Amino acid sequence: MSYPLASLSQIERTPSIEDGIPADLEQDLRAYGCKLIHQAGILLNQKQVAVATAQILFHRFWFVTSMKHFGIGDIGMGALYLASKLEECPIRMRDLINVYDLLIQRATHSLSPKSDSPFKYANMSYFGSTFYELKDALVVSEMQILKRLGFNVHVVLPYGTLINYLRVLGLTSEEDACSRAWGYLNDALQTPVYALYSVPTIVSAAILLTTRHMNIPLPSTPPNCWWDLFDAAWEDIWSVCGHIMRLYRSRTEEERMRVVGMLNKKEVRKWLEDKAEREAT
Amino acid sequence: MSDSTPSRKRSKWDDDEEEPYVAVAPPSKRRSKPKATPESADATPPPQQSTTRQSLHSRYVPPRTHHPPILPSRSVYCYERLNQIEEGSYGVVFRARDKQTGDIVALKKLKLDEEKNGFPITALREVNALMTCRHENVVGIREVVVGDTLTQVFVVMDFIEHDLKSLLHLMPSPFLQSEIKTLMLQLLSAVGHCHANWILHRDLKTSNLLMNNRGTIKVADFGLARRYGDPVGVGGMTQLVVTLWYRAPEILLGATTYSTAVDMWSVGCIFAELILKEPLFQAKGEIELLAMIFKLLGAPTSNSWPEYSTLPLAKTISLPSPQPHQLRQKFPYLTAAGIDLLLSFLAYDPDRRITAEDALQHPYFTESPLPKHPDLFGSFPSAAAGEKCVHLKDPT
Repeated sequence: MSYPLASLSQIERTPSIEDGIPADLEQDLRAYGCKLIHQAGILLNQKQVAVATAQILFHRFWFVTSMKHFGIGDIGMGALYLASKLEECPIRMRDLINVYDLLIQRATHSLSPKSDSPFKYANMSYFGSTFYELKDALVVSEMQILKRLGFNVHVVLPYGTLINYLRVLGLTSEEDACSRAWGYLNDALQTPVYALYSVPTIVSAAILLTTRHMNIPLPSTPPNCWWDLFDAAWEDIWSVCGHIMRLYRSRTEEERMRVVGMLNKKEVRKWLEDKAEREAT
Repeated sequence: MSDSTPSRKRSKWDDDEEEPYVAVAPPSKRRSKPKATPESADATPPPQQSTTRQSLHSRYVPPRTHHPPILPSRSVYCYERLNQIEEGSYGVVFRARDKQTGDIVALKKLKLDEEKNGFPITALREVNALMTCRHENVVGIREVVVGDTLTQVFVVMDFIEHDLKSLLHLMPSPFLQSEIKTLMLQLLSAVGHCHANWILHRDLKTSNLLMNNRGTIKVADFGLARRYGDPVGVGGMTQLVVTLWYRAPEILLGATTYSTAVDMWSVGCIFAELILKEPLFQAKGEIELLAMIFKLLGAPTSNSWPEYSTLPLAKTISLPSPQPHQLRQKFPYLTAAGIDLLLSFLAYDPDRRITAEDALQHPYFTESPLPKHPDLFGSFPSAAAGEKCVHLKDPT
């Protein structure tokens, strides 16, 4: 059964771009949302399959929804909750909410003037509304993800394919190469590629980056190109490599802080209003 | 994205080859951001298609155009409600008409009101299993539509006229051997397909087998289905599955690592029910059911089921003295091959129970009388479509 991929029009004009959010900001917000999912997954001791599935659903969601209407924090939380059910390792709502509360507080702290002082987590107050607000957001996010993805939440993860391909290429003896390629696949989860390309293409890109970094020669001159074995097209592999490498581009302090301050839709809307004002004057 | 048919022009590739190498090699290399179309990167071989390459494509790597797009759920108002078919613990099923195409469909409304844990995992498993297991003999899921609020979710499925249980009740004489073979082949191919896609149905029974007026059965109600893995039962699986009469002995005895064999036991019970025109084991409780199974098949021995004594509840059961099975007495008109197949479905040891794939090759299906062509099946008035029916629906 094949998994959904974004259509050409969805890629060219994502709903967020339609709403005036610049493409690079959208990419950075996607990556930041995925980092939070990953961090939450680690804190919850959740399996990587669930975390990866959540990140892929998260990326699909932004091809049908604008970040003006839903926050990356809430949707990330909903995606992790949903993916944990899909992968048969459900987590407790209470645990997930606690973890996200901590992550949000830490993000807020890093933006505050006192960001130099060590971060201390303040427990949710027993009678406070934080828990119920987050719980509502979680339930709504989960439902919205299902609804906006048409309940087609089938996800195929790349790891098995990677092992298969590394074996075909005779690279399994090179331990560094295997773990490096594995790492690229994980890093790629922060980019939209899993909603854009099929798994063989993404895995080929991870192998391409690995072999080039490590100077491992593979047959790459036509008509003997190794990626032909895996039915991947060169230009697609190249595009995936571009997505992954852009992730490592060093960001300015301002760029890094900008995404931290746009965890929820209110902040995104404020940013858009400020931008409109800046453009008007 | 760009066309997924890879281009084949060779001459240009050599030129392109050098440049990308330089571009990627240094890890910290900053790449300027390609704008909206990332695939218009540096290395774009000239688009020229070739037909030879297409045929070399692995069938496991379909072209990108074969992947469905990301599509939000449509509204339930795309359908016109006709009549209610049934109501169960999971929700209500309606018959409805697609306003665009005029197709008659079944709309299953999920109960979401009292959910404390978000979208119920059972509903998620059902939708996923149906989408994963598309097959000629599995009821087709068309889409999932939503109502005005987030608590209204409807699964849209093909409308099928009958369920096998009511049909068995309704029809004057049991199915012929040739008809039973056709139905069993369909059932086995559906179950084999689910298992091949790592889905356990866990609730196979005649009331969950739908049948249309063209001699085709469809496995339905994946409400208890779930994915299984290898090794099985990672995370532990519940024993609260499968309607009692169709429940395999290993579940009755508390196994938490059961697998595809539980479905095959149910298939065996269905096979017997098709012949008998009534359920094989009509027990009121688990203990009575085990007693009935032991009576019909003889008590399990260390030979027929080596792992029996290791099962959690085995110590609480006192086994009757060993005796041969009574299938010949129960099924006097079944051929030797038929008895053998039934015995293979009802094997005590789950590891030795026949798989769906193997059962399809069983000699029973190639001996006379041969399976009847589905088109030659009779048709019946459909109770679900509100057609005239002589018999009220069974309260179960």
